[in-house]
Amino acid sequence: MGAFFALGLFQGAVYGLLAVGIVLVYKAKRVFNFAQGEFGGVAAFCAFYLTVSLGLPYWIGVVGGLAAAVAMGLAVERVIVRPLESSSRTIMLVALVGVALFAIAVTVLVARPIPRVMPPIVEGGTVDILGAAILPQQLILLAVLAVLAAAMAWFFRTDLGLAVLASSQDLRAAQVVGIGPTAVSRLVWGMAALLGGVAGLLYAPVGIFTPGFMTFTMLVPAFAAAVLGGMTSLPGAFIGGLAIGVVQNLGIYLLGQQLAVPGAAELSVFALLVLVLLIRPQGLFGKEA
Amino acid sequence: MALLEVADLRAGYGSVPVLHGVTMSVEEGSNAVLLGLNGAGKSTTLMALAGLLPVAGGEIRYDGRPLTGPPAARVRDGIVLVPEGRHVFPALTVRQNLRLGAWTIRRDSRRVRRNLVDVHSIFPRLEERADQPAGTLSGGEQQMLAIGRGLMAGPRLLLIDEASLGLSPKLTEQVFEAVRLINGRGVTVLMVEQNAGVLAQADTAFVMQQGRITVTGSGAQTLEDEAVRAAYFGS
Repeated sequence: MGAFFALGLFQGAVYGLLAVGIVLVYKAKRVFNFAQGEFGGVAAFCAFYLTVSLGLPYWIGVVGGLAAAVAMGLAVERVIVRPLESSSRTIMLVALVGVALFAIAVTVLVARPIPRVMPPIVEGGTVDILGAAILPQQLILLAVLAVLAAAMAWFFRTDLGLAVLASSQDLRAAQVVGIGPTAVSRLVWGMAALLGGVAGLLYAPVGIFTPGFMTFTMLVPAFAAAVLGGMTSLPGAFIGGLAIGVVQNLGIYLLGQQLAVPGAAELSVFALLVLVLLIRPQGLFGKEA
Repeated sequence: MALLEVADLRAGYGSVPVLHGVTMSVEEGSNAVLLGLNGAGKSTTLMALAGLLPVAGGEIRYDGRPLTGPPAARVRDGIVLVPEGRHVFPALTVRQNLRLGAWTIRRDSRRVRRNLVDVHSIFPRLEERADQPAGTLSGGEQQMLAIGRGLMAGPRLLLIDEASLGLSPKLTEQVFEAVRLINGRGVTVLMVEQNAGVLAQADTAFVMQQGRITVTGSGAQTLEDEAVRAAYFGS
């Protein structure tokens, strides 16, 4: 059972990393960003192409992958988000689902839907944690999650971060003090895409990856993590991600393996979510802003 | 010398014209008041001055030069709007609201600190409430915060839109008193008001009717003006 706990913790780190990006966009724009996973998908495929297909050094793959993700983020902001700025949040949400599906379709067309193996950042054997075999890549992932969640929490205390919050609370007032709405919008989507790119690059080497790998299996638990944490809290996204991962894997062990309940992973995630929201509708760390 | 000169200004919302040629001149260091009924175009004038509304015709000159830049550039040049309805950032603290008021000068931390001291000297209440979310302040305190936030940018020309809206007579008098103090420190003030009580402290008064300035005069003189009474009070 300890092994499942450890597996869950490291699995949860990916959810947390995606959730940090989801929370950033929600705080800044009150938008549910369903394209968050595909920033990572695009980054992973670009990095794979540069390092494995072209044989370039690993760091070029990383930089290229992140650059591709940020470019995608800025394009989404310009082409989809800004024209829909004044429309309902539901329309925005559907459009962002469309972005994710479009990105997956393009990856399928360009890269073919075959499974790929991305080399890890650090080669080497697994580490034993509570009886689970954990890859060095997963240790890096958890560490990066902790650093980025803290960095984002710090960001919202800087002038720039306050300007982002201010724009989401009262756009007219933000303009009055001289904050440019377009610059804020670009900044938010660029940063969200960068966070998504980091998640994709770090997670791709953990298993095999295929088009849509970040969206189909990671995005829903990541949203659960963000909601669990209160949707606007960065420590909440961090804790929520780990909690979802742990509960999911404990569910697999207790319900799936011991009691042979089908769909144990999903069942336990949503049971946790429903339970927490019943007791604390605002989420674990939920408050305004 | 006139700090602000507006000549035949035309502006509106979409294809609906509101300003049909506004002409006015505000002296440097003066306290000017723009009076008029609802829908006369007072707020529209301030929005156009702040760069929040495109100008359809005419000219705005500020400090001797044509004024055309985006809102942020105008704030940097010292034209700061305190919008109607206060528009504070409700979930941010009073301190954070004031900090964002200094957005355009944020790299000059000494100036930001000096402006904060100034704001606290005019509105001591804001210092007491520093860590409180702005949304939890009373209406009068929010108005003080909105003006204080405007002052944080270090304005030369402060545009105040209906500061007395929804305030009790006592609070209104306090806000007007604060504006007198700000004006006394050398900031040129252009206030939009429906409360004619403000005329007593105004150097210049403009009365606006249907998108035009119909009366210009000193505050005291305008208060006595029969035409103004007719236009403004409808009697």
